[in-house]
Amino acid sequence: MTRAQRNLYGCLVVFVCLMLTSAGIQAQEEEAFIQYRQKVMTSNGANMGAIGDILKNKLPYQSHISVHALEIQRMSTLIPDAFKKDIAAGKTDAKPEIWKEWDKFTAAANTMGLEAAELAKVAQNGNMEAIGAQVKKLSDSCGNCHKPYRKPKEESYKNKS
Amino acid sequence: MEHAHWHRVMVLSLLLVGLIALPVWGDELVAVQRGKAVLQAVGGCSCHTDDKHSGAFLAGGRPIKTPFGTVYSTNITPAPKTGIGTWSEADFHKAMTQGIGPDGKHYFPVFPYTSFTHMTEQDVRDLKAYLFSIPPVEQANKPPELRFPFGWRTGLLVWRWLNFRPGTFQPHSDQSAEWNRGVYLVTALGHCAECHTPRNWLGGLKTTLAYAGSADGPEGELAPNITPDEATGIGKWSVADIVWFLQTGLKPNGDDTQGLMSVVIENGYKHLPEADLRAIAAYLRSLPPIRNKVVKKDK
Repeated sequence: MTRAQRNLYGCLVVFVCLMLTSAGIQAQEEEAFIQYRQKVMTSNGANMGAIGDILKNKLPYQSHISVHALEIQRMSTLIPDAFKKDIAAGKTDAKPEIWKEWDKFTAAANTMGLEAAELAKVAQNGNMEAIGAQVKKLSDSCGNCHKPYRKPKEESYKNKS
Repeated sequence: MEHAHWHRVMVLSLLLVGLIALPVWGDELVAVQRGKAVLQAVGGCSCHTDDKHSGAFLAGGRPIKTPFGTVYSTNITPAPKTGIGTWSEADFHKAMTQGIGPDGKHYFPVFPYTSFTHMTEQDVRDLKAYLFSIPPVEQANKPPELRFPFGWRTGLLVWRWLNFRPGTFQPHSDQSAEWNRGVYLVTALGHCAECHTPRNWLGGLKTTLAYAGSADGPEGELAPNITPDEATGIGKWSVADIVWFLQTGLKPNGDDTQGLMSVVIENGYKHLPEADLRAIAAYLRSLPPIRNKVVKKDK
């Protein structure tokens, strides 16, 4: 092997190592983005679950429903930013359609925010029937986004062997 | 004078006929109402509406993917040519509880007659009354596309011998009325096991894994474990959690359900009286917990 050849191989090894490291760093960075946006969505679930707990168990916290609804409304404003980075691979159930239909996706998040704000308003009047109907509308707005933009459970990374 | 007399006779006779017919008509209306409640407890017979392609209500044509091929649901509107409009009470009863059509053809068990066989005669009659009250829609049925040998109807005789146990539900006298109602709603009407119990290679239910979830549910969906196992089933769900889920489609963690389950809740279960939903919950919570994590295998 000539000196020039040795130098060439050396450079190649260094280059490949650099590539691999940067890919590793990128994967880690993407993982952090995925984890953050999952926390935003989990917090919506937690507030929705809390509203459910109050209603199904008839807990004396009816006044809390508006607060939980407003939390969901506020979180809805973070969704576009949290999902801006196009990451559909890894430990995520986000579908690539989110970024293909970005305007529709953000509109769906906005609709959820509007329904949540409406629930906060309706909950203050205390009419149980109206509250139930608005919870239904809010939950439909979750489903209307999950259906096109979240992998169903049979495709979820959580249920793969 | 003569004319006025006949007029009075006519009016009186019409009134009389009306009075005699009224209770019958009233009974029919009540049967239709009860039948609607039966349909809702069955989950709205949602497989018979092809909502993905904006199909007419219960006119069939919905593709149902199974591990054995694709089957298309049939038209169960009272349309005389392509629906069930010409069926007698006996025809309907036989189809529902024995899985045999008026032409003597055996149904593929994707139609859950294996569950409906447990229905009371009254519920079957009422369901027919309701189905005959909806708008008839002429829409031809599509033949199934099943892999060999599963499309072979004669083979169904063997399948039936292995898997079909006919008979109306008999209450268990040593259990509460609520529990018995729950068994009836889950096994005869709601037909939960059809999706939530895994199947063997012949498509029969694996009864040792009853309600423990199936990776190959209808329409390629994963049906979760609904036994009270805490780790892999719904053991952490309270009765109120199950009732709320069946009313709203919302799980205890606030997430919404998707797929066929959201459809059967929307068209069916959410309309049930709360006492019925509590009965379903009471029965599900009394099932033996089975540890079975349902995982979809990569193909």
